[in-house]
Amino acid sequence: MTGGPHDPAGPLIVANCSGFYGDRLSAMREMLDSGPVDVITGDYLAELTMLILGKDQLRDPSLGYARTFVSQIEQCLGDALERGVRIVSNAGGLNPTGLAERIREVAAGLGLSPVIGVVDGDDLAPRSAELGFEGALTANAYLGGFGIARALAAGADVVVTGRVTDASVVVGPGIWRFGWGTDDHDALAGAVAAGHVIECGTHATGGNFSGFMDLPRDALPLGFPIAELHADGSSVITKHPGTGGMVTIDTVTAQLMYEIQGPVYDNPDVRTDLRSIELSGDGPDRVRISGVTGSAPPEQLKVATNTLGGHRNQMEFVLVGLDLDAKEAWLREQMDAALADRRPAEVVWTRGPDPVPDADTEEGAARRVRCVVKDPSAEVVGKAFTAAGVELALSSYPGFTLTAPPGKPSPFGVYRPAYVDRDQVRERVLVDGVEIGEIS
Amino acid sequence: MSTSRVPLGTFVHARSGDKGGNANIGLWVRQDPTGSEDPERRSARIDWLLGFVTTERVRELLPETAQLPVEVHPLANLGGVNVIVEGLLGDGVAASTRFDPQAKALGEWIRSRLVDVPDELLDPTPS
Repeated sequence: MTGGPHDPAGPLIVANCSGFYGDRLSAMREMLDSGPVDVITGDYLAELTMLILGKDQLRDPSLGYARTFVSQIEQCLGDALERGVRIVSNAGGLNPTGLAERIREVAAGLGLSPVIGVVDGDDLAPRSAELGFEGALTANAYLGGFGIARALAAGADVVVTGRVTDASVVVGPGIWRFGWGTDDHDALAGAVAAGHVIECGTHATGGNFSGFMDLPRDALPLGFPIAELHADGSSVITKHPGTGGMVTIDTVTAQLMYEIQGPVYDNPDVRTDLRSIELSGDGPDRVRISGVTGSAPPEQLKVATNTLGGHRNQMEFVLVGLDLDAKEAWLREQMDAALADRRPAEVVWTRGPDPVPDADTEEGAARRVRCVVKDPSAEVVGKAFTAAGVELALSSYPGFTLTAPPGKPSPFGVYRPAYVDRDQVRERVLVDGVEIGEIS
Repeated sequence: MSTSRVPLGTFVHARSGDKGGNANIGLWVRQDPTGSEDPERRSARIDWLLGFVTTERVRELLPETAQLPVEVHPLANLGGVNVIVEGLLGDGVAASTRFDPQAKALGEWIRSRLVDVPDELLDPTPS
């Protein structure tokens, strides 16, 4: 069986092939080949991902997008074009035009010339100071689905975006197919619910699922999810036949409950009332979502900002056998003294579970004690910190050992949400590099 | 009313995660996998869960949240509640010093805690 638009009068079949940057690389191929689909979507951007892409771009300004998406396109574009399957993703990250350029090169190498749509305008980092988030490495407004819909309507085979919301990559194709307007709140809310359920990939089909005891729990990879989207915004969540995992009311509930902040789920196009959602079984591996109501979206757009916070490092000490409290107390006293000259801004000690007495394995007799340090300076949490620990090797508690050799400090970011007025954000839609008009 | 001390996860599912420095936990009454559950007992379980999960209870079951603001939002249509623990993850995933910086396993921890559940809501134990 192969994918491709199957029934123009029926639901729009929207598949997901990625829940984060680093998700299963073969998923786009699987969604294309294992059953009918109209649109393949993917979410590549988490709060942390924007920081990673920001750091990529500090090294090389031509980067800043999800590079795994390029590999997926390389493997799948020819077949997708032949079958008329559209591809929509927020893999553009901080540099959607750069990603579009890269896709054009890869396509040309394959003898293909897809129409490529770009939605951007979300990047507010250059105006950070003016908008009140000074010092942010990344600052991106969360955009909705209307720009994606316009790109699709203009014939884009592939649409890559900046920071649209995770659900928008599903809402956009719905708007394109069914012609919803900005006031069609219930239909938009239904599409947001469907989008939220499939945005995290196999989270909807049995991954990270507390009901896993009901799964086959074999080696067959969990299938990625599909939303069959209807004109009224209702949907059926399912997966391709023969793939692993399952779709049940519980697997769908698990994802609906995920990362929500109360009973109303805000998106740039609509506020979705989670209390209105009705779930019902619709046959094996099929769950219907209906009854969803929405209301006018928030007046301001949410902005994800990431600031470089400093550097961190850690060491884990192993304490075995008798007198563990005394061993730990001495270790901490020694470490405190060694760090006294340039004490990191934050020093946090945590402790694993206590071993059972008279343990019959060495690991079973061990307590692990972790020291995590953070500081604006990489140097303070680098060698200065690890040497303090390592130098105790022959001069501390009996049985001194570490679970890993001392590591290099790693930079960390601080994520903060912010809000801006809509008129501060100028969303652009480009098709093959030509702007097709502003979204107001 | 007789009760038994059993893990919360006996008939409650969970999924947890992060938004910035806040952790969130969804808790809901699982569907009977055999599909033959008495709908009255299911709705009694949901009523019990909605009454059981309060700010104080979350702080009691997860002592690491005791000093933090905890919100509980009922979602009766989904058979459960959305819990938000503010500030558990410090400055957010990239900065957190927590052992589970994205709160991915917080839900499995709370499911493992022992709680008093009315016997009428539990499956009879095979004797």
